Amino acid sequence: MTIVDEQFWGAPAASITAIERDLARLRRAAVAHAMERGQSVARAAVLNLVVYAEREVHARRAADSIGQLALRHPSRAIVVLGDREREGAEARIQLHCHVQQDDGQDQICYEQILARVRGDYDARVASVVTPLLVPDLPVFLWWTGTPPAKAQRMDDLLALSDRLIFDSADFARPDRTLAEISEFAPHGVAMTDLNWARLTPWRELVAQFFDVPVWREYLDHLVGVRIGFGVDMDGRDIHPSQALLLFTWIASRLGWHAVESLAPSEAGGLLFRIARADGASVMVRLRPRFERGVETGDVSGIRLQASRGGDTAEFVLKLSLDRRHVTATAIVGGAQRSERVVPFPDLGIQALLGEELTIAGSDRVYEDALETLVRLA
Amino acid sequence: MTITAPNPLREGLRLAWTPEPAALVIFGGSGDLTARKLVPALYNLALQRLLPASFAVVGAARRKMTSDEFRRELHDAVAEYSRTRPIHDDVWSSFEKTIHYVPTPDERGYDELGRTLDRIDGEMGTGGNRLFYLATPPAAYEPIIRSIGAHGLRGSSGWSRVVIEKPYGHDLASAMELTAVVHEVFRENEVFRIDHYLGKETVQNILVLRFANGIFEPIWTRQYVDHVQITVAETLGIEERAEYYDRSGAMRDIVQNHLLQLLALVGMEPPAAFDDRSVRDEKVKVLRALRPITAAEAPHQTVQAQYTDGFIAGERVAAYRAEEGVPASSTTETFVALKCFIDNWRWEGIPFYLRTGKRMPKRSTEIAIRFRVAPHRIFTKAASDGVEANELVLRIQPDEGISLTFGAKVPVQGLRIRTVNMDFGYGAAFMVDAPDAYETLILDALRGDATLFTRRDEVEQQWSFVDPIREAWQKGGPPLETYAAGSWGPAAADTLLERDGRSWRRP
Repeated sequence: MTIVDEQFWGAPAASITAIERDLARLRRAAVAHAMERGQSVARAAVLNLVVYAEREVHARRAADSIGQLALRHPSRAIVVLGDREREGAEARIQLHCHVQQDDGQDQICYEQILARVRGDYDARVASVVTPLLVPDLPVFLWWTGTPPAKAQRMDDLLALSDRLIFDSADFARPDRTLAEISEFAPHGVAMTDLNWARLTPWRELVAQFFDVPVWREYLDHLVGVRIGFGVDMDGRDIHPSQALLLFTWIASRLGWHAVESLAPSEAGGLLFRIARADGASVMVRLRPRFERGVETGDVSGIRLQASRGGDTAEFVLKLSLDRRHVTATAIVGGAQRSERVVPFPDLGIQALLGEELTIAGSDRVYEDALETLVRLA
Repeated sequence: MTITAPNPLREGLRLAWTPEPAALVIFGGSGDLTARKLVPALYNLALQRLLPASFAVVGAARRKMTSDEFRRELHDAVAEYSRTRPIHDDVWSSFEKTIHYVPTPDERGYDELGRTLDRIDGEMGTGGNRLFYLATPPAAYEPIIRSIGAHGLRGSSGWSRVVIEKPYGHDLASAMELTAVVHEVFRENEVFRIDHYLGKETVQNILVLRFANGIFEPIWTRQYVDHVQITVAETLGIEERAEYYDRSGAMRDIVQNHLLQLLALVGMEPPAAFDDRSVRDEKVKVLRALRPITAAEAPHQTVQAQYTDGFIAGERVAAYRAEEGVPASSTTETFVALKCFIDNWRWEGIPFYLRTGKRMPKRSTEIAIRFRVAPHRIFTKAASDGVEANELVLRIQPDEGISLTFGAKVPVQGLRIRTVNMDFGYGAAFMVDAPDAYETLILDALRGDATLFTRRDEVEQQWSFVDPIREAWQKGGPPLETYAAGSWGPAAADTLLERDGRSWRRP
């Protein structure tokens, strides 16, 4: 049996009832501790977060992120750590819990429970999680790793959840896996792709170009789209899913339709044609590029080219080397019309997750982009 | 003018609603408000990527200055007053390029301003959209508005709007006169009167609490509510505003706008929609139902007072009359308490107690709704001694939140009941920095959403309530009381509630 780091995960508990008892005791201790310092503890849970991980590092990283988010989203987190490797081993469930507090003025507690399950646990995971959920509050399921297409553990947990969070950044074939997820996600469960959330500032900035009435007209006359995304120095690890989503977002909003499927180009990029709503064709190039500081798969810039009669325009967004800002340039009719520098937000996992946890519904725009992506596959 | 189709990329969740391209013209560009509030707010909007891709700021004021000098001044102001620091240099230098300055010492200056705006439209594609912001002393409002009209500063295409700072008039007649001048140039739906209290998250929080929940509205009536207390307490004195404040006083400075706004938000009926027209219609209805306080009633229903010297947080502070710039014989009130009634089906007979003061012991703005006690007591007196009526408190500042008190059994053998407090802090539930009120308001004005601005009839109703009380005071009404700085006001304010068998909450 693997030893669980009790410093991190808290003391083991014998049963689910014992967990509740332990949490109550820990909460009381936290209150007493805070009272000594003339503070009070608020237990203001706004959501349940279930994390599913199959590797301890993932579980731990997730728990760390949530712990720091507790200030923004006080929650009860139930981390399910599945150990499928040990098949044949006796199925057992190990529980640990712990109440974390912030040392600042507002004492907020955040409760974290680790459920370590092993062996053939597919059918029993949900029975551990259900009684641990705080009643009535929404349940977010954060699936670290690639969600499996057909698995009871997934179906059961999804049935409890209001929202599924995953990250397509690591998907080897995002077009295929995303298609699968959109198929098996039951109605009523909203999907959140953290990789889509990373695109929000890009989408905002692209959209802002076309808020300017005289520039908006070019939107119907785009002839080329180029998107750059990060790749490691050897150029081996190609993860185009973010760039693809950015592109399919534009395509779906503008009613473009696929004419050819995704074709690999030199250096691991993608080069293909797509048809505009009026039938004219648009050249699309997604290009991996090594740039220091840009994470593998992250978009680093976009260039939209338009041509209307003899009139051309270019709209360019380029991420700065320090990733702190984006330069937005619009060149209309050959002369430079506008260049501005806009701050680029921190897109760390915590920031993304924090943002996502404030949104409860499903995102139709994402679903549309996904649909276009699936059709390109 | 060609009609442009909506931007298809704008659709969907997550994307903030950025305003259309526009030019913002700040009159009083060289003034304090511009440096302390407006430009820091604009810079923070730029940081949040909430400004449109095409945007220009034009400062206009009497002072001679070049655009470069203006930019340098604003840079220093932002460095000092921005809520996010240090300044993000790349963002500032890009934002700075959109800032211009035009001196308007005379009519020729306005012509130059017009040319500058036309040039910006051409170069930046702002499409004639213009937001005029009057950040000047009130005396300059009318001449500036007339000059906007006379020099055709409204663009030939696009929209034009005007933002007017408080105070909006100093009584009903002056407010109506100002409105008449404003309406020579702008239609009412183009006028945005600022009450910066409305830009705080609070207002929306009150409306969400009341109208997004099913459980509060049914008990939000005379059947269940005993009375309502609204407090706006400041620890500050009058700082550098002696000249303005001594002419104005607490009634005009706080009661007419902030306190009556809070009263309207608590007392209003549910609007049919959350839009500017519906929300403001309902607010006006409440203000119209506010029972006027007559000269005969004023001595019993109102209290006015002025602070003497005392202590704030351990520091000795001077009396109002000893403040710099205040005449030694000043009779200006720095504290007001009053009792009023809303004459409608929902609130008939329920008193609303309002109070505001400077040099109070603690800075606090809150609304307390005191419910009636349980109709029949089944517990012995000994057990339920110390149990008070339920109270719902909406804390507005500092530390925005909501708390509800209720009686709970003390977990011991036997029965003892104690009042406990269930407390919710917005800061604790959503650990996000709330935007500054001016960020919200400028953004709304650029978007054309007037929900958080005061409409003409609202301002007029507010003055109609306040004016008769001030007249009664001048005719001898209740005498001007005094209170020590650092206290919760004069004894007369306590008497006001004691007569009804009630007492003020300690915020």
